[in-house]
Amino acid sequence: MGKVKIKKKSTLIDMTAMSDVTVLLLTFFMLTSTFLQKEPTIVYTPSSVSEEKVPMNNLVTVLVSSADKSGKLDDPSVAEGKLFISFTGDADSTLSSEKIRGMMLEEALAIYNEQHKNNKIALTPQMKSEFQATNMIGVPFSVLPQVMAMSVTERDKFMGDMTNPQVGIPIDDNRNRDGRLNDFQVWLKAIYNVAQRINNEQAEGLAAEERSQLSNLYTALMRKGQGIAIKADKDTPFTTVQLVFDNLQTMKLNKFSLMTALKSEDEPTN
Amino acid sequence: MAQIEQSDGGKKKKGAQKKIAIHVDFTPMVDMNMLLITFFMLCTTMIKSQTLQIVLPTNEDVKKEQQSQTKQSEAITLILDTEYNGDKPATDAETGKTIHNIYYYEGIADTTFATSKYLQKEQFIGNMNHEPQGIRKILRGKNKEVMEQYVKLKDQWKNKEITKEEFDKLAKQNASDSLKTRPVVVIKPGPNTTYEGLINAIDEMNINQISRYSIELPTHTDTLLLRHYEQANNATIIRPTVRARAAHMTAAPAEGESTPNS
Repeated sequence: MGKVKIKKKSTLIDMTAMSDVTVLLLTFFMLTSTFLQKEPTIVYTPSSVSEEKVPMNNLVTVLVSSADKSGKLDDPSVAEGKLFISFTGDADSTLSSEKIRGMMLEEALAIYNEQHKNNKIALTPQMKSEFQATNMIGVPFSVLPQVMAMSVTERDKFMGDMTNPQVGIPIDDNRNRDGRLNDFQVWLKAIYNVAQRINNEQAEGLAAEERSQLSNLYTALMRKGQGIAIKADKDTPFTTVQLVFDNLQTMKLNKFSLMTALKSEDEPTN
Repeated sequence: MAQIEQSDGGKKKKGAQKKIAIHVDFTPMVDMNMLLITFFMLCTTMIKSQTLQIVLPTNEDVKKEQQSQTKQSEAITLILDTEYNGDKPATDAETGKTIHNIYYYEGIADTTFATSKYLQKEQFIGNMNHEPQGIRKILRGKNKEVMEQYVKLKDQWKNKEITKEEFDKLAKQNASDSLKTRPVVVIKPGPNTTYEGLINAIDEMNINQISRYSIELPTHTDTLLLRHYEQANNATIIRPTVRARAAHMTAAPAEGESTPNS
């Protein structure tokens, strides 16, 4: 019996094709991706048939936190109804999100200090640039300097703790306030003022026709109602959301949008 | 593929150097790419959120003479309520979705309770076999004239006779055509209604092309109707508010208005 000779084969696998595919996939993901914005809490929006997309630019998002779902808290509603606000600027780099945030902060602080003459808030330039770099903010003005002095990790941890009474922009039923605005209303007023100022600057020296073509935060707010989007959890009680509506109405921002997920018309609605 | 072959042109020379195939190993490259892909896949949002637009009226006090009056035959009031199981919204055992109830009446509230139609119960069911069910069926019946035209427009758009822009414009015109009989819907979310219940109701307005609707708080009359309905049907609708508003959000109900649960 002759010996069967086993031919030695190379175990090398050619990875070139594989590499090609992965590079293609990588390119696809890099081009299509928009990064998830950091938000202090997760909410699950209800779904609707509306096909209108959330605008990418010139948007103010108001996030309403939901009740605690982890089951760790004795009273889950403690975490409910905390407000966070985030600003997105123009696609045009002259009015980037950072710049808009800076303008909003200046305006809001001016309004706040006007109303609270005895305990004015002052931020250092360092704190202001920190604010400009933060996507979502949700603290009362009184603790803003303290929060802005923190490191990014500390701040995320601070704002992520929904049980902390110092987290969330203060809001109330806006009755019997004697003309004083609550913190949420101060922000809304700042948004309106800044948007109007930008619009006036852009509209200067333009013909009426060109003016109607302008697209900025002000036109989004006033004409289309796309300037402010409310993002709330589907299980949040209406009374909580209604409070936000009521404050918006008081500040004459009657047109706004509600963020939803998409579903088809035929889908059973609960 | 990854090796560069060096052919010797078929000739065999004596003493020629032995040619080595140059082989590049792509495995680390693939590893790295895979890691990058994973990173991008985890950090991206592919699905963009949608928005529903709403316009609310001013919340300043409006004098009675300035308030717009609606024809009784056109008005329909929906009182929303979400069922709760403890402090969490109750879910349907089959579908796992939250149970929302709608109590509706047409025209002005019938506080004499002469007929059983003073308050009727419905749910958001959506479509079944492409036929509207539940509250959608009722609303569609009320807005029949607009919907007939809307379906025609939709067919035209699907057959590419008109563009999407034209369709949107015509549909909007159609929905606010004052020559057609159109309902006026008043949505009244009770305090136990979840945000989802409200969105569902607004969604039904969009689906049924109802251009005139408003969101209001329930009144004393509505509470009265609900109480009577409870007694007649041996049901519990008016329960204590499931979740007291958190301490940082203290709001009292508007003057002269009362929520069904208060």
